[in-house]
Amino acid sequence: MKTTSIFPLKLNELEFLIKSNFEKNADEDLLFSFYEHQGKKVVVFGILYLLDIQKLESALLAPLLNASEPWTVKRLKNELPVGNSSLASSVDIILTQLFLGKIFIYIEGEDEAISYVLSKKMQRSIEKSETESVVIGPQPAFIESLETNLNLLQNLLPTPDLVLEKIMVGTAPTREVRIAYMKSIANTTDVNTMRQRIQDLKIDELEDSTVLTQYISDSSISLFPQFYLTELPNRVAYTLQEGKIGVLVENSPLCIIAPSTFFSFFETMEDKYMRWPVGSALRMIRMIAAVLALLLTPLYVAIVTYQYELIPTELLISLGQSRAGVPFPPIIEALIIELFIELLREAGARLPTKVGQTMGIVGGIVIGQAAVDAGLTSNILIIVVAASALASYTSPSYSMGTTIRIIRFPIIFLASLYGILGIMFGICLVLIHLLKMTSLGRPYIAPLYPLKVEDFSSVFFRLPPADTAKRATMYQPKDPFRYSARNAKRKRDIDE
Amino acid sequence: MDAIEVNIKIKKTLRIRAFQIFFIVVGIQTGVGILGAPRYIFKEAQQDAWLSVLLAFLYMLLVTWVMFVILTQYQNTDIFGIQVDIFGKWLGKFLGTIYILFFFSELASLYFSYIEIVQIFLYPTMPSFVMGLLLLIITVYAVLGGIRVIVGVTFLFTLLSPWIFGLLYDPITRMEAAHFLPLFDASFIELVKGAKTTALSFSGLEILFIIYPFIDNKEKAKLPAYLGVSVSSMFVFLTTIISIGYYSPSDFDLMDWPVLSLFKSVSFSFIERIDYLVVAEGMMYITSSMVLFAWMITYGMKRLYKVPQKTTLYALSIALLALTIFVRSNFQIQKIGDVVAEFGFWLVFVYPFALLPLVLMKKKGQKRKEVKND
Repeated sequence: MKTTSIFPLKLNELEFLIKSNFEKNADEDLLFSFYEHQGKKVVVFGILYLLDIQKLESALLAPLLNASEPWTVKRLKNELPVGNSSLASSVDIILTQLFLGKIFIYIEGEDEAISYVLSKKMQRSIEKSETESVVIGPQPAFIESLETNLNLLQNLLPTPDLVLEKIMVGTAPTREVRIAYMKSIANTTDVNTMRQRIQDLKIDELEDSTVLTQYISDSSISLFPQFYLTELPNRVAYTLQEGKIGVLVENSPLCIIAPSTFFSFFETMEDKYMRWPVGSALRMIRMIAAVLALLLTPLYVAIVTYQYELIPTELLISLGQSRAGVPFPPIIEALIIELFIELLREAGARLPTKVGQTMGIVGGIVIGQAAVDAGLTSNILIIVVAASALASYTSPSYSMGTTIRIIRFPIIFLASLYGILGIMFGICLVLIHLLKMTSLGRPYIAPLYPLKVEDFSSVFFRLPPADTAKRATMYQPKDPFRYSARNAKRKRDIDE
Repeated sequence: MDAIEVNIKIKKTLRIRAFQIFFIVVGIQTGVGILGAPRYIFKEAQQDAWLSVLLAFLYMLLVTWVMFVILTQYQNTDIFGIQVDIFGKWLGKFLGTIYILFFFSELASLYFSYIEIVQIFLYPTMPSFVMGLLLLIITVYAVLGGIRVIVGVTFLFTLLSPWIFGLLYDPITRMEAAHFLPLFDASFIELVKGAKTTALSFSGLEILFIIYPFIDNKEKAKLPAYLGVSVSSMFVFLTTIISIGYYSPSDFDLMDWPVLSLFKSVSFSFIERIDYLVVAEGMMYITSSMVLFAWMITYGMKRLYKVPQKTTLYALSIALLALTIFVRSNFQIQKIGDVVAEFGFWLVFVYPFALLPLVLMKKKGQKRKEVKND
């Protein structure tokens, strides 16, 4: 490593030295401008496409060249009206900073070069959330810029209580990771665990926050997502207020929320925005939908293969009629249709939006009508599969929805092997697995086990705002009270 | 042979909360025993069988009380430690081994009974081996998670099962009052004999002796235990009453699992044959008992002989699977059940009364010594 000072140098020597570090003709992208000012030779250099040229001209070059006194590095640092100046004297430091979009000024004969941040960053503007769409309530979603995301979050929680700890992860390139939490609420152990897990990472590159969740998750073999990933700043702000921790990663539009419980994957912000009985009902529908998504097709397979006595005779007759022309055993029949739906889903996700819509219509007709006409399946199975597909997408978290879709397949196989007993076996295994899991060291199916009945009101349903003075205790927040319950006065008698 | 420490320390992360004792007691006591219980009780006490259940319930409360008296004499110990303290190293270990053997026979009884039920009610041609493998996969997977997961499984599965008792509304409406007459006809001896037959369905209470040191807030453990005993007695009481009212006396001779057959009369417009669901649901309440028994065996082996829990767990699963090949007939399974019932009666419901005076005497002696030394 060439960390020793290279200065003082002649300007053309410096130019040669810097350019010699670029391969082939990449040095053509380097901007090297030589000026003479008050008898001193000055060079300004940087990488062209990373710089904001307009700003460079107006904020840096104009004051630099119009000054009446000769510049020194000290004067530059003190008097040039551009922020973020730093001094560098070795080739390595200069090179790394060049690639971050910094502009350097070197005055011949000085011991150090001075640099300024005048970079321009390309990023999309803040848009509506795509993966977690919100019908009513605040719409903005995080984008790929950490600065913008921090700005959004801090604007929602403008208080010194919000801590945004900075950790650098990776060796080439190093990425900035921020741990966000409320100093007075978040559990210290959780924060320490999270910090430790991120600091312990010995990796070269951190691609995205989704990758980070895989590095820091409690169990790496489980199918279930252990951290909620959200792109809604409002959701992050709300969960921070609950005592959880958020983790933002540079260049990633998704914020990690930890610890997350199984049931938190079925909560949406809209539950909060709706009136509480409606919000509660919607949340419960979502949870029932998850159970249906998991069990509908396996039940069909089990009933048609073994336990046809389970369903009433009239239904059995119509089921028998619609299945009469189907030449396959129920498991093959179910797998064909499930595979169709999975193909449709995957194709819809990969194709451009316009083509995707067409695919949806074509696929829908093919699966809905033609498959029955062709005698591939019974139309009751179409209803069953379509209903369970719908049900699996009610989870606001795409990753949880996908997990539920995937674990259906082993259960369908079990159902075709051992009927309802096989389904029961599958349910038992999934339940035991959920019991075993933790998220950031906290039990995954809290508050069901360990049982915390007082937390049911914030997990399974909602209560009127006046009754929610207490935070969920399962995350063990430092301050269990959201506001003083005594101040939230309610009418106790008819005329009061 | 290594010495066994009488009092043990349990890590904070392994401890459980006292109210879980309720679910543990209910979970372990409502196994398959309850499905056949009314038949055995009826055999002894006829139409007064329900009185036998009440008698058994009162007696069980007494046993629970005695168990707590014994346990509270010590700081933090289980039956293995107590027996070593009272009877010395060799005899104590021997008695501990008997307990472990008893747990294994209870586990085997549950396991084979459920396989039999599945073969009778669902799949007559399903090989016992396959069904056994399914049960053991669940059990091993749960026990590998350690005490907290095991208690979690018991809690969750016990919570998810009792809805099936709600289905009994249908047989209740078809009960015949005349079946209970004449009231109080059975002699006291017959009632006691009837009560004794509940030993199989109520076995599992001895878990208090094993799990006690794991309870975090011990002072609150008594009420959940009494409540647990009451609830599982209530289940047996209810099923017995309904069975007596629903079946005629001669019916009892014809069927092995009268409680399961009760569900045959229940049906809804959208679902028929509820008994299938009850048998499938049985996997949950069997598992909740099986994991506890399996854990007690592994824990006991570790405590007495320092065998790693994983080794015992795998060995016991392989042993059960191997036994599946040999135990085939209904008769053999019945035999296991009878042995467990007889053995369990003496070990679970009589032995604590013999142990109590010994423990109290020993403790009194120790106190006297301490006073003298002072």
